[in-house]
Amino acid sequence: MEDGNSIIYGLEHQTRSLSPQYAESEAIRFLIGTQSLKPNSNQVHVVELEEDTGALHTKVFKHDIGEIWHLRCSPHDAANLVTTHNTYDPNTLQCTMGVSIFKLPTLQVIPKDLDELSSLQGRNAEDLELLVTIKPEKAEEEIRCAEWHPTDAGRLGVVYESSVRVHDVSSGAAVCSMKSDGRTRLKLTAGKWNPHQGHTQFAVLQDMHIKCFDTRTDCSKPSWSIDNAHRQLVRDLDFNPNRQFHLASAGDDAALNIWDYRNGKEPIFNRTDHSHWVWTVRYNSYHEQLLLTGSSDGRGLLYAAASICRDPDDDSEKTGKILEDGVLQSYEQHEDSVYCSEWSTVEPWTFASLSYDARLVISRVPRPFKYKLLL
Amino acid sequence: MEEAKAVKENPLDIDSSSFSPDVYLDCLLKCATLKQVMDKEAEIVTQSQFLQSEMQTLVYENYNKFISATETVRKMRSDFKIMQEEMNKLSENINKITTFSSQISENLQGSGNNVRRLCGTRQLLDKLQFLFLLPSQLNKAIAEGRYSDAVQDYSHAQRVLQKYGNQPSFQSIQTECSEIIFELKKTLRERLISPNTSATELAESVALLRQLQESDSSLQDIFLSCAESRLDKHLQMLSSIAEHTDILDWVEKCNNTLLADLAIIISCYNEMFEQEAIIPEFADKIMIQIFHLFEEVIKRPENNGTEMLIRGLDKFFRKLQAMTEISSSDMMSSKGTEVVIQCINHKAMVQYQSIQTQFKDSLMKVRQSLASKGSETIDLKDILNSLQVYLMQKIQASLLDLMAFLQNNLSFGLKPWCAKAVADACSKVINETMANLSDLVKKMACLQTSNNNIPFELLLILAKLCLDMQETGVSTLQNHLLKLLEEAAPGLTVDNKDTSSVMVHLSTAAQTALDSEVVFIGQTAAQMLRVSVLARDWLRAPEPRGPRAVCRRVVETLASADGAASQLFPTSIKPSSDSSRRTIWSRAPSSFSPLNRIFSERIEVFSPAGADRAALSNGALKVALKALVECVRLRTFGRHGLQQLQVDVHFLQQRLSCMGNDERLLNALLEDALASAQLRCVDPQLMEPSIVDIICERG
Repeated sequence: MEDGNSIIYGLEHQTRSLSPQYAESEAIRFLIGTQSLKPNSNQVHVVELEEDTGALHTKVFKHDIGEIWHLRCSPHDAANLVTTHNTYDPNTLQCTMGVSIFKLPTLQVIPKDLDELSSLQGRNAEDLELLVTIKPEKAEEEIRCAEWHPTDAGRLGVVYESSVRVHDVSSGAAVCSMKSDGRTRLKLTAGKWNPHQGHTQFAVLQDMHIKCFDTRTDCSKPSWSIDNAHRQLVRDLDFNPNRQFHLASAGDDAALNIWDYRNGKEPIFNRTDHSHWVWTVRYNSYHEQLLLTGSSDGRGLLYAAASICRDPDDDSEKTGKILEDGVLQSYEQHEDSVYCSEWSTVEPWTFASLSYDARLVISRVPRPFKYKLLL
Repeated sequence: MEEAKAVKENPLDIDSSSFSPDVYLDCLLKCATLKQVMDKEAEIVTQSQFLQSEMQTLVYENYNKFISATETVRKMRSDFKIMQEEMNKLSENINKITTFSSQISENLQGSGNNVRRLCGTRQLLDKLQFLFLLPSQLNKAIAEGRYSDAVQDYSHAQRVLQKYGNQPSFQSIQTECSEIIFELKKTLRERLISPNTSATELAESVALLRQLQESDSSLQDIFLSCAESRLDKHLQMLSSIAEHTDILDWVEKCNNTLLADLAIIISCYNEMFEQEAIIPEFADKIMIQIFHLFEEVIKRPENNGTEMLIRGLDKFFRKLQAMTEISSSDMMSSKGTEVVIQCINHKAMVQYQSIQTQFKDSLMKVRQSLASKGSETIDLKDILNSLQVYLMQKIQASLLDLMAFLQNNLSFGLKPWCAKAVADACSKVINETMANLSDLVKKMACLQTSNNNIPFELLLILAKLCLDMQETGVSTLQNHLLKLLEEAAPGLTVDNKDTSSVMVHLSTAAQTALDSEVVFIGQTAAQMLRVSVLARDWLRAPEPRGPRAVCRRVVETLASADGAASQLFPTSIKPSSDSSRRTIWSRAPSSFSPLNRIFSERIEVFSPAGADRAALSNGALKVALKALVECVRLRTFGRHGLQQLQVDVHFLQQRLSCMGNDERLLNALLEDALASAQLRCVDPQLMEPSIVDIICERG
């Protein structure tokens, strides 16, 4: 694995959701949710990478409430996670979506001894503890995703197809709701909390545009927006963890754009290296120069965007210790569209990407780049 | 020594001075025998007798001589006496002559002095008369305008006046003359400054002033400043008329006024001051201004007529060459060359700019006709040909136009540097036009992707135009240029221009246009599919009765693009495929597995499009169908929904298999769409293939 070989983990059903365990500080853990329309067949897999040996350990939990479209671990409690799920009711011939918060019965994945190992092997999927389920107001309303508030453990931002609501975690009730005015026909694709600006802003993707609402008001006017961020649908965005005005976006024009949203006319960084829609983009939370993308061309790309992450008094360019902008490495172990890719929140050089054909690939930043950033 | 003394003082030697007869006799008597004495006696007697006679002869001889000498002396004495008398007479006569001559000279001295005095008086009087007449002479000469005579006279008198100026009678003359000369100087200076004097008069005035001992440097300054102001006036005049005269008139005026004056000034200057340090600098300053003005004149739009421009340029260049001979400045000749080259380059620039605007206009017309064409098909090949011919003709015409600079009767026409400049300019026209074309195409392609309404047919035409230019057009033009140059300037060797950058430009422009066309068509179809898939309720869809309308529209869109492409791009031979009719849902849904994909190639959706019909269609198909796959995966299907999609897929497969040449690609994508739908179906039951066939045909 150190030499660029990735570790591959396969699941039985299609997958679209992946999340690192944000609140965990020791183990490299990722959670995967499966997407299957067969009743009672969906699962949440917890995958832990043993750093020393490079071995993968997994634990499987049942997720009988429906297929998982989106999954996010809580940044406040390592055991908590929220899933956005969809259920088909054969009686009403109707699909219902919902958001549920679960608690893992145990964080332990790696067996302590051989006894436990054998008992684990013999055991089937365990049960998750369901804390609360949030249902949409109208049964057929689609939910895109649910995002934990970065600091307030009691708040959850939920993106519906045409609005964003902030729910109270314990009761599940909507605390506030934001709706874009005017072009309400354009549906929302996804959304995210802005980690800066006092954690009050929630950015959503609406067709080709990025809009950010202030959650303290019910105002229908976005506090800032980037219109036509991509030439086609915007699929994902991620905020720079260090620079409060920078964000990365990816879309159906196969492009990765980085914006300073104070000036949303032109991206400050633009690359088109994928050969199909880009579904996911993630900043490395330790090194803002590194970005990860996943695309339906079946590739994950590791990018460097160092030129826009330089401080005026930084002399690293002179000493040649800067990464050249562009693709550092292409990861081609996937056979199908890559819908998710995530950095580990524990170890700065490890990341995972997940494709629709249920293949999780855990890789590391190649050593030369790592040394260049560290030394 | 003793012996020598003995010998010397031998008293026995009869010849010695110490001979003692007694000793000798004694010795003789003692030593010799009687006989011997007798003999000796006889010997001595003979000897004595001989000596006696000899002495007698000598005495007689001497006596005779004495007597003759006495006689001679006596004779001489009588002769000298006569001589003495004669001499006395001579000296007497000489004395007489001397007295006479002194008498005569005494008499003549008085009259000689008189004559000499008279001559001196006469000379002095002449000079005085000149001096006295000088003021009036000067006045007269000045009045008649013969300044040079006046100055000459004055400079003659100057010395005398200076010598005797302190005498009161001359003082008045000198002051009068000085006044006159002062006046003269003033007039001359006035004439210098006055704008009406010609350059010749100017030069003359300066020469006179110089003779009148004006200091050189101040004169030089005055001269230069006067000349400069005059030239400035010319310049102003020229610049003022530059607005409304044509180049021929302008050059004529320039040659006759400014350049002619400049030539006179330069030559005068060189003659007078005999130093050339400053004049080139001064001339250069003027020339730079002239060149600036000339450039402006060249750039005036009404001077675009090549023939007139060239004739004006020719005149100008001839004059410059003439000037070069006068002025030693190198700058003049190099600048002259530069002006011609600049003129050529300017002409070339005007040419390719006008080509570009004209081409843009014709492109706009094409664009409008394409946009307003409605449903009837337009012969794209025709449009392409007309555009291409138009462009080639324009370029060739402008090349021919530039060749006019190489006419034999022009002063610069036969110069190698001129031929080289023309060759460069021609290549530049070709290259720039191609670069402009490439940029234009690229810009259009980019506009196109940002949803600007440029018809995709135009992109195809432009891509084809770029490719044609790259393949044959540029080389044709190059050859044409070589031929023209061979005719106009035989023997000129033109180094082969590097056209690779132009070629790269053209091919990238073509590629951009093709890519943009493919993406545009693909996205248009993809957008239709995406909207239709996302908007439909697949869960509660009714039983399929035929392919959805959107499928027909997608097929129409792709087919129209395919048709357009087929007009312009060669169709590579389609691989015969018996499998084209094979239905694609024979596989069980479980066959959708990673394993299956390992054996199929990865499909690059947004990839560079090839320049042939099939590749273009393949590209658009990929974009459209991959979007279908991705959208299907975002939905949930009921049984009838799945079956509807099955019908759609079958319909698409039937209709699209005639486009592109990659059946496997098409089938793989359609299979993928259907398999994804099966996965997303709550009740995955497909229809019988035969029923699907029937529905498709009925629909």
